[in-house]
Amino acid sequence: MAIDLKAVEQLATDQSSLKAAAGLAKPGKWSGVGASGDGALIWGECAGSGANPYRVMADLRDLGNKCTCPSRKFPCKHVLGLLWLNAEQVLPFPPADTPAWVSDWLGRRRGTPAAKPANNAPQGGEKDLRAARAGGPDVAEDPKDVARREAQAAKRTEETERAILDALDALEQWIGDQLRMGLAGFIDDATARCRRIAARLVDGKAAVLAGRIDELPSRLLALPAGDRPRGAVVELGKLVLLARAFRAAPRDAETRRAVAASETRETVLADPRAPRVDAHWEVLAEQVQTRRDGLVSQTAWLLNLSAAGPRFAMLLDFFPASAGRRGSVFTPGERFHGELVFYPSQQPLRALLVRRDAGGELPPSEWPLADATISDALTRPLLAEPWAIEIPLLLPQGRIARDDAGHNWWRSTDGMATLPIASEVSSLLCGTDLTRTAAIWSGNRLAILAAQTPWGRIGGHD
Amino acid sequence: MTEVIEAETMLDAMGAVLTRWTMGSAAAPAASFWRAELGDDPTEAELRLLALSGQFLGAAVTMEPGATLRVLPDVPALTLPTLPEPLRPLARRILAAKKQAQSGTELVHFLAARGWTMHPADWMPAAADDDAPDVYATWRDWAAIAAADGAARRQTNDRLTADNWEDFWPAARKAALAGLRRDDPSAARGVLEARLAGETADTRLRLLSLLSERLSDDDVTFLEGIAANDRAPKVKALATSLLGRLGHGPASGEDIAELAGFFSVRTKGLLRRSRVVQAEPPKTPAQWQRRKALFEGADLAAFSGALGLAPQELIAAWDWNVDHAADMALINVIVSSGTDAHVTQAADAISQGDATGLIAALAPRLSPAERARHAETALHSHGISFELAQQVAGPAARLDDPLSAPAGKTLLAALQRDDAKPSDQFAELHALGLIASRDGAQRSLQRLTGAGLLQGDPRLDMLRLNAALDDNGANP
Repeated sequence: MAIDLKAVEQLATDQSSLKAAAGLAKPGKWSGVGASGDGALIWGECAGSGANPYRVMADLRDLGNKCTCPSRKFPCKHVLGLLWLNAEQVLPFPPADTPAWVSDWLGRRRGTPAAKPANNAPQGGEKDLRAARAGGPDVAEDPKDVARREAQAAKRTEETERAILDALDALEQWIGDQLRMGLAGFIDDATARCRRIAARLVDGKAAVLAGRIDELPSRLLALPAGDRPRGAVVELGKLVLLARAFRAAPRDAETRRAVAASETRETVLADPRAPRVDAHWEVLAEQVQTRRDGLVSQTAWLLNLSAAGPRFAMLLDFFPASAGRRGSVFTPGERFHGELVFYPSQQPLRALLVRRDAGGELPPSEWPLADATISDALTRPLLAEPWAIEIPLLLPQGRIARDDAGHNWWRSTDGMATLPIASEVSSLLCGTDLTRTAAIWSGNRLAILAAQTPWGRIGGHD
Repeated sequence: MTEVIEAETMLDAMGAVLTRWTMGSAAAPAASFWRAELGDDPTEAELRLLALSGQFLGAAVTMEPGATLRVLPDVPALTLPTLPEPLRPLARRILAAKKQAQSGTELVHFLAARGWTMHPADWMPAAADDDAPDVYATWRDWAAIAAADGAARRQTNDRLTADNWEDFWPAARKAALAGLRRDDPSAARGVLEARLAGETADTRLRLLSLLSERLSDDDVTFLEGIAANDRAPKVKALATSLLGRLGHGPASGEDIAELAGFFSVRTKGLLRRSRVVQAEPPKTPAQWQRRKALFEGADLAAFSGALGLAPQELIAAWDWNVDHAADMALINVIVSSGTDAHVTQAADAISQGDATGLIAALAPRLSPAERARHAETALHSHGISFELAQQVAGPAARLDDPLSAPAGKTLLAALQRDDAKPSDQFAELHALGLIASRDGAQRSLQRLTGAGLLQGDPRLDMLRLNAALDDNGANP
């Protein structure tokens, strides 16, 4: 089964899509490319601007397609790029078993008639492949223009910094007000009060911090009522620490990331201080959360199975909730060999996937040994980043136990440590030894991501 | 002041600090040990104390369980192996798709018939899941233990007796009783005689139904006692129906005579005169209702007796396929009060006629081999769908070439229609996957992909699982 470039041209919604697709129709952008044995399905993973590559798939019989990117254009440039690769045979599409994510998509297509090419594409003027292939004009820049642009950028940075510092002053005043008015009232009215200060922080260009404060009430309400005053003190205390850290070093990338904005993918990739780790990885879990600010956060937690480098990696992507449901990028439990680049930090955790080697799943192997001591694992990251909310850790052999009220606790086999579990866990986790447990410690509660057991690997919420 | 004392002092002070902030008063005075760090500005001192306290409470104070903790016993290993690792994702997907359709537990029954079980991370039965195959009994009991306040019962694998009855959890007990009934019917009845009265009505009903296996005249006295004395009408009715299967149904009464009045026995043929039982069409809706109600309380032996026939003569002389409501009602009477031989005779009679839909109602009382045989016959001779064939065949069909039946040709034609949608024929393809043998599934896959279905099409999941799965089960 084959398609031609004419079909790609017809499928594109506009000339700019085609132009963008031309930029993606290069072998270096793609990994995990394959086709079903009958050649009707093709798929591949394309490096995008997010932490994870986008998973792109198409059914060549009717040119139905799907991509995990948040684009509102349909089809997006990644799909067009994949079709282009196939049409021009830029890359071989080796026959392979259909990956689960492609099968899942096919399953979801049930009931909807296959998309017909071209007919439903808006007529955005003439589209032309040759024009899309052609590069933009290569004009030499005037040094004066460069200097002027740099000066403007510096001025903008300074203005942003000033705005953030003003917003942080407002935040501290707001925190002081909450203490004066009483945390009992704050807990009762947290959503509205947090919303107000978050809006002020957005105006003050402290968008990341605003998002964090927007989510504060839901973290607080997840705690048992008796534990909320303690939770409020911990949350607000961390905000004071973060505000002070920013004031002390406004240009520090790590604090800036927690307050204003993260570096772009390109900046991280180009940063020589960003650690690059080539290792075997296991996908522990994927967490998808719709936030109050209208964004969906998609977090993939990876465990480093190799001896060297950071133990955990967190791949974090955001996309607008209005863009609709987005396919999963990883399957919990899958293992792969690949290269990650970590955002520069004292405790590297957030990362981007740079390369993922083809070659299927890795053979089963043991998880690394648990962290030296549990108390150390819980507190060490706070020395470097005292405002951190989530701390991933690997627990030693243990077991889930239940108290009289029906709450679950993780208890180490030696009985030396007992930690409360935040949410419901799967039945099986309660009925077997947990030889290793990967979990997130947040708000004084554990959320189990996955565990190794005599029954094999079990996800936290299977 | 040592570090340990400092931590304890801080911990002591935190109670007062939290109380003050909760109420809205300044807390810095309650943390005098940090006076130097907090400074003199009251507003600033509160913020600094907040940062320090938050860090202390978040890092150094973890919750402790208030009471004793209870650890659940291990989820037990089952007597059959769990699915091979590479096939688990496929089984998960099938289960997820069937959940959407709110369908039953065909997959777990199919796997059990093939000698496999689900992995407990993918599926576990609930304690009350009576539809789960017996192989999962220990998991059902584990779920009951998990939901109970304490695990008082002893776990045992001994042979079930009246004395160790209480040592078994309910699902394992039911499975043990079923096994005992197969091996030693009178011992199983003896256990029931001693223990049945102490159970709830629902449990009594479920346990009594186990007597249908290897039912014999030895059971009559016990069943008559239940039919006469049990407190629950449902249990009484079941005992009566089991007695009916043994030819000990109630004597013919007025109701049976009235029911017989809706039918006539005629003779036909000139040389070889044979009898035929024909329904006299009821004239009014009230009469239809009356006939229906009379059938619900009828017993096969009594009904045939009222017509002047033996039960096997009634089944042979019945004029099938004229009055469908009467056909269905008679089948229900045969299922509830006919012997195994009557059920087999009725199934054969239906197969020869063209009323194959009725076999599905009889199927639960047929042996797996008979079910498969009737399903195959009906597929080829009467053109039933794979879905109906699956209902007839149950979980142990293993048909070698189902796609060559008329339902296969209909399916292929429907899949190849121009306006075919990706969702079409999902149920038929799933049922095909359930009734085929492993070879049959492999052959069906080849033909379907040859006819244009994608190899990765999720509608083929059940066939793919079947084709990849070793058959460890006993052939029916």
